[in-house]
Amino acid sequence: MGPGDVWNLIIGNPILNVLIALSHILGGSFGLAIIALTIIVRLISWPLTKRQLKSSKALQDMQPKIQELQKKYGKNQQKLQQEMMKLYKEAGVNPLGCLWPMLIQLPIWIALYQAIMSALAATPESLLGLAHRLYSWDVVSQAIPLGSNFLGLDLGSSGNFILAIIVGGTMWIQQKMTQAPAVDPRQQSTSRIMLLMMPLMFGLLSLSFPAGLGLYWAVSNIIGIVTQYFVTGGWGYLKFRSPFQSTTAKGK
Amino acid sequence: MKQLKILFLVIITLLPLVLVSCYGTTQPTRGWSGTAFDDGIIYAGTRDGKVVAVNSSSQSILWSYIVTTTTSSGMSCGPTTAPTAIYTTPIVDGDLVYIGTYSGHVLALSMLARSQNLTFPQRGYGEWEWDCPIDNAKSNAIVADLLVSDDAIYVSSSNGRVYSLDKEFGDQNWESEVLDERHRKLWTSPVIQGDTLYVSTYDGHIHSLSSETGELSDWSFKSEVGFASSPVIYEDTIFLGSFDRYLYAVKIGSDELMWEFPQEKPAGNWFWASPIVDEGIVYAGCLDGKLYAIEAETGKKVWEFDAGDPIICSPVLMGNLLVIVNKSGTVYVFDLSAEIGDEAVPLKTISIGADVRNSFCAQEGLVYIRGEDNWVYVVDIDKGKVSWNFDLTKKEE
Repeated sequence: MGPGDVWNLIIGNPILNVLIALSHILGGSFGLAIIALTIIVRLISWPLTKRQLKSSKALQDMQPKIQELQKKYGKNQQKLQQEMMKLYKEAGVNPLGCLWPMLIQLPIWIALYQAIMSALAATPESLLGLAHRLYSWDVVSQAIPLGSNFLGLDLGSSGNFILAIIVGGTMWIQQKMTQAPAVDPRQQSTSRIMLLMMPLMFGLLSLSFPAGLGLYWAVSNIIGIVTQYFVTGGWGYLKFRSPFQSTTAKGK
Repeated sequence: MKQLKILFLVIITLLPLVLVSCYGTTQPTRGWSGTAFDDGIIYAGTRDGKVVAVNSSSQSILWSYIVTTTTSSGMSCGPTTAPTAIYTTPIVDGDLVYIGTYSGHVLALSMLARSQNLTFPQRGYGEWEWDCPIDNAKSNAIVADLLVSDDAIYVSSSNGRVYSLDKEFGDQNWESEVLDERHRKLWTSPVIQGDTLYVSTYDGHIHSLSSETGELSDWSFKSEVGFASSPVIYEDTIFLGSFDRYLYAVKIGSDELMWEFPQEKPAGNWFWASPIVDEGIVYAGCLDGKLYAIEAETGKKVWEFDAGDPIICSPVLMGNLLVIVNKSGTVYVFDLSAEIGDEAVPLKTISIGADVRNSFCAQEGLVYIRGEDNWVYVVDIDKGKVSWNFDLTKKEE
């Protein structure tokens, strides 16, 4: 048994079969199946997400102290790092805590990508290849082969600009809600670039991946925004500034 | 710290995705064209997009013709021109060899023109090429074997329609309406009886069409589950495999299922290949590795044989001999004139040493098989061994 077989046995095949079964249960809609699977994945990773959100909230609350430290030790980066770590430790916050939900989801993304490609059986080889990956559940055999259309989207095709914009946009909002503004001007420009980089990359990836994966990302981001809003109690660092307000301020 | 964290996130997230994007977005389409044998010449489509004719006496290539297509495969990989995949088995008719390609073309190749390596198509030699319209579908690929009748060629397309072409000039006679709106892809071949074509679809229909006009006839059959194999007709009954792991028998004109096999619980996998029927017995290979002999009238099992590996291609009859080939390239020969109990014992078992998932042909004691390694294997049943084999990727002499 090779690594590919082990991967399929543990992650690939369960996701594939659940996705196909969901599709049958949800009236043969593969798009609804992807949305349902996204919700399931989000529920499974909820304990980690909750921890991450709490970390974000704690970091948010610590911002005045962090800014103070940045002002105080701005010229001595080493000292600043040391003091910040001390502060994190005292508050019991792990600044890398938000990585875990992302890391947990990474194999799921890859398995989901493979499941979408396999389930839609875009080529004769992938249809034939499905035969040995399916469980003998009635709901699975009755769903095969799947239709790929959902709300005008072809879930097996790439290159959908609207979906790419939704993925990038929702990811930007989600990130913006947690990313604290930097005080140091150099750090400000770096964090601005970082804030744009991920949404931009995911937007571009959504263009080159099958739309089914883009749908997963978009729904996952929207769920992330909603839970973040309710757990952290608001829009966090995402400030909706009115252009009218800023003009008035400049006028003064 | 924060920047490092985000950078780490970006790298860890994007690297595998980019790798998967480049290596995984495009599912390889290599084709599974089978072999045809006519007048001492073996014809086969290869996995590198060639149609090759091999002289069986001299064991040399008479001619080969490569079909190419331009594809774009994902944002990061760019467009490429590559040989097209060929899934259909060549059909020889007179001086012409007909083939359908994954790039949506049907080609009529003249043996004379190809042996002189002239530019394709040579109209004077009767050659033509027909381009299947995409028709708002995802693809116009031709995957199912062509059906050649006395005066027309019938083509199932991945755009969901069946086409009738003039055999002589390649002109389109008619196109059917879209037969499977949900999946579009028609990857099963039509079958003809009288002036009616029967087509099975992945949405679980058997449609009947006029072979003259392409118009849908009154009768159609609807199943809850999609059909995996092309239909086969024997005495007004259609036999075909389904994705729920059953083989179905449907009487033409009836709305009711005649029988399904197995009768108790489903088989271990799909009946992917079309069955064959001879003297009231249906012989069906299954992806669960078993060959089943079933009474055509009742659906009762006569005998079965476990070939160990999936049976992807249809069995072939040669007189009283029934030949099957499993995925790992083992050829089993059964003598149908001998007494067979519940469990069949093959007369001969011969391994060609290469994987097989395409159709094969048999004539005068010889079985012609193209392996996944792009070699043709000629199996001598009497001698019980591979008589000779030939590399189809070899350059012409």
